[in-house]
Amino acid sequence: MESVVNDFTINIATANGTGSQSANLILLQSLFDMGVPVSGKNLFPSNISGLPTWYIIRLSDHGYQAPGNRTNIQILVNPATWVEDLAALEPGTVVVWNENSKLEMDRDDVISYPIPMTKIARGINPKLAKLITNIVYVGAVAEILGIEQSALESAVQKQFKGKSSAIELNSGALLQGREYFRENHKKSDPYVVESRPIENKQFFIEGNEAAALGLLFGGAQLLAWYPITPSSSICEGMINWIPKIRTNDDGESDCAVIQAEDELAAAGMVLGAGWAGGRGITATSGPGISLMQEFIGLGYFAEIPSVFWDVCRVGPSTGLPTRTQQSDITLLYEGSHGDTQHIVLFPGTVEECFEFGWRAFDIAERFQTPVFPMSDLDLGMNRWACSGFDYPDKPMDRGKVVRDKDVFEAFEEFGRYLDVDGDGIPYRTLPGSGMAPILYRGTGHNPQGLYSEKPHDYYQLMTRLKDKIRGARDELPAPILREEEEQELGIIYLGSMENTIQEIDDILAANGITASQCRIRALPAHSEIEKFIDRHQKTVILEINRDGQLYGILRKEFPVHLVEKMHSAAYSDGMPPRAKIYAEMIMDILQGEEK
Amino acid sequence: MSEQKEKTERRERPERKARAERNGRSERKERPQRKERPARSERRERAPRPVKLNVINEPKESYTGGKSSLCPGCGHDQISNVIISAAWENGIQPHRIAKMSGIGCSSKTPAYYLGQSHGFNTVHGRMPSVTTGAYAVNKDLLYIGVSGDGDSASIGIGQLIHAIRRNMDMVYIVENNGVYGLTKGQYSATADIGSKKKKGPINKTQPIDLCAMAINLGCTFVARSFSGSKKQLNAILKAAMSHKGFALIDVISPCVTFNNNDESMRSYGYVKDNEITLHMTDYIPHFNPIPEVEVPEGNYRDITLHDGSTIRLETISDTHDPSDAVAALTALHQAETQAKHVTGLLYFDNTKASLVEDLGLVDTPLIDIPDTDLRPSESMLETINEAFLA
Repeated sequence: MESVVNDFTINIATANGTGSQSANLILLQSLFDMGVPVSGKNLFPSNISGLPTWYIIRLSDHGYQAPGNRTNIQILVNPATWVEDLAALEPGTVVVWNENSKLEMDRDDVISYPIPMTKIARGINPKLAKLITNIVYVGAVAEILGIEQSALESAVQKQFKGKSSAIELNSGALLQGREYFRENHKKSDPYVVESRPIENKQFFIEGNEAAALGLLFGGAQLLAWYPITPSSSICEGMINWIPKIRTNDDGESDCAVIQAEDELAAAGMVLGAGWAGGRGITATSGPGISLMQEFIGLGYFAEIPSVFWDVCRVGPSTGLPTRTQQSDITLLYEGSHGDTQHIVLFPGTVEECFEFGWRAFDIAERFQTPVFPMSDLDLGMNRWACSGFDYPDKPMDRGKVVRDKDVFEAFEEFGRYLDVDGDGIPYRTLPGSGMAPILYRGTGHNPQGLYSEKPHDYYQLMTRLKDKIRGARDELPAPILREEEEQELGIIYLGSMENTIQEIDDILAANGITASQCRIRALPAHSEIEKFIDRHQKTVILEINRDGQLYGILRKEFPVHLVEKMHSAAYSDGMPPRAKIYAEMIMDILQGEEK
Repeated sequence: MSEQKEKTERRERPERKARAERNGRSERKERPQRKERPARSERRERAPRPVKLNVINEPKESYTGGKSSLCPGCGHDQISNVIISAAWENGIQPHRIAKMSGIGCSSKTPAYYLGQSHGFNTVHGRMPSVTTGAYAVNKDLLYIGVSGDGDSASIGIGQLIHAIRRNMDMVYIVENNGVYGLTKGQYSATADIGSKKKKGPINKTQPIDLCAMAINLGCTFVARSFSGSKKQLNAILKAAMSHKGFALIDVISPCVTFNNNDESMRSYGYVKDNEITLHMTDYIPHFNPIPEVEVPEGNYRDITLHDGSTIRLETISDTHDPSDAVAALTALHQAETQAKHVTGLLYFDNTKASLVEDLGLVDTPLIDIPDTDLRPSESMLETINEAFLA
């Protein structure tokens, strides 16, 4: 039998609240520490304890990070999903199952490794048996695949940082799982792990923690938030880091944190901070953005710098709160009633979550408008490899804010909404400064900020706002282009799809298709995107949603002759994107079978 | 004690000076020297009337705003005038005030006072959150919020409650007329049972008493007043400005257009005839020595406020102890059963920390911190990267 080295997917079916997350992270971390390119996806339920959870670990020497197309090794611990999980497996799959479960293993076309997980766990500590059960399977899997014991142990150390009793308990359980397999089974499957040389040392981090750090390095002065999955860990990340990097020796910080009564209040606080001259941020998800709509319109119309980080989950309504989707693109870009348009940023990696964290404030203050970085649950809550974060390459941009009396007096005429420079961006003074005080308002106003219902004032204001946001397009993060000579096909995508694109490209290449790639990193769309579409015969826009929201926006905004070149490949079932699905959609489009 | 001597003494007390600066008051400037007394004949010709200046040498004009577009006779305009007088008399630098509002007739009024202050006419019922965000990054401004009964008792009641809960440091005035004015006279959530507005049926839904609610929530300053009681409202408002924490002033402010008929319980006539005043109210600013103020003959109670000013409550009938929440609720309840309005300082508590203490921030207002201090250093990021890699 030929070995399959570092190229398979492990699916672990457990119940949440049983310590399975720790066990799975230990398995993931030990593979990572061996230099094996690996990714982990946590498919967790919207409750705290007892519902089914799956953890998908993909090993890939190609560096593929999407969940694979099939499961190669299934670990069965959860009786609730036992029958379904088992039925879904392809013949030849390895099944590591809890022999002490009362359920049957009725497949004879799979490679079966029964392990008495509960019995072993009870033998170690009857009270903690539920938790230990999970560690036992990690030990067994380590033995099956040939994962080094040293890598496992260092992962245990990392997971339980200095809690010696937990480290001892878990290490013991790992060894027993290992020994049981060695003594009772003979390896009859092809799957093997081999360590790889580590060229650039990397670490694992969630996108949300990277964002939290980036926001703090951006000089955030107010975090106003309301808990919602999957964005809470941005806020909790900031709360965790503020004492370490934004607090003086007397324990006083320069970033306020307020847990608001709801998302509306969080949005109001962020606008209040921006109005007063500070850097305010809130992080939320689609339902929160829905609630914030009225304030978003006020921020746009009264021109208040503000940052709203949206970690998308599956909508509409409460939807699938713990699953991933790129579903808020239209909502963010055209949020609130009336004619609006907002700057949206799409980080695609954890490094960009950090970078767009600090950059978002600069952009918000430069253009005096709400800015929406948009990530998703997959990027935000799963762990991704990272080599480290780069320090901001420029000082903070505070935009056109007049703080100095001399500067103020040099103005011939000052009006809060007067377009002095012809770029649509007016100058502002701050409350408390005594310079050009005005009553900010969400009602119609003239260049001086005074109430006006005059047709000319309204028309001029709305036109200037449109020009201002449109003028931002080439100042925002430019698209990342990877171009082929043929220029037959161009693929446009955004955000966390970055982690699947290589695999899609390889599938297309295997089918004789060469495709250029263009990763959009901001809206309004950069002029380079227009040129990219123009020089390719066909372009396909990939998105993790049903309706092709980005496609709709580009169709609406780009010149008519480009529209016929654009095609949409939008798909979403709540799961992180799988390469095969998108590759097939692209091939259908190329054959003229667009669905 | 001569005035000059008092001034000198004040300058020598650094803690009071620091406090005054925090509240946006600078030291008192020397008043311009009065010119020599002209001859009687000349005086008669010119009739010079010296402009009255406040303690920071500002004329009252520095505190006025634009022309009101509300209905003539609106109670809200009277309140605007009291805001102007109170800020002027308290000697607050006009540009160190932030005027905040929501949506409604009341929330339009910030355009009519304090023209030298920045303001924000926000969205319906959500002024508290915007104020909270501004306060977090600039705690040194005096935040005066104006709201209405629609804004505060209906759409925005949640935000009001949570601002009270945080003891957010602001003055919050509810201009309470029992109707929605801008949408032409629908009952609001504070309309009394049995009250009848100009058109339509009698109100049968029970009202929300914002003062009772605030007392139950532990609000640290709760008062009710009447737009027609200028003197009382002036003293209460000045005291609220000197308070550290959330100060709620519920002001009955009749709507002359939609709710000023005889059957209304919030008409000028009804309130005048049915007002129970808890006490006469006097405010003694910290820059005026107490002995200069006339001592009342009967019982009175002095309450010292955060900035050293005093509110003096002169008892009229029963003694009312503003530190007793139960007494305050009883007074409200008794008035309600008699279909009366009780006014005065209902409840006061200076023992609670305000939001700024809870936030644990540096003393400098956050907006005044240089950018280079706000952003952690490059070596800090290197340390973080190294720790992750270890």
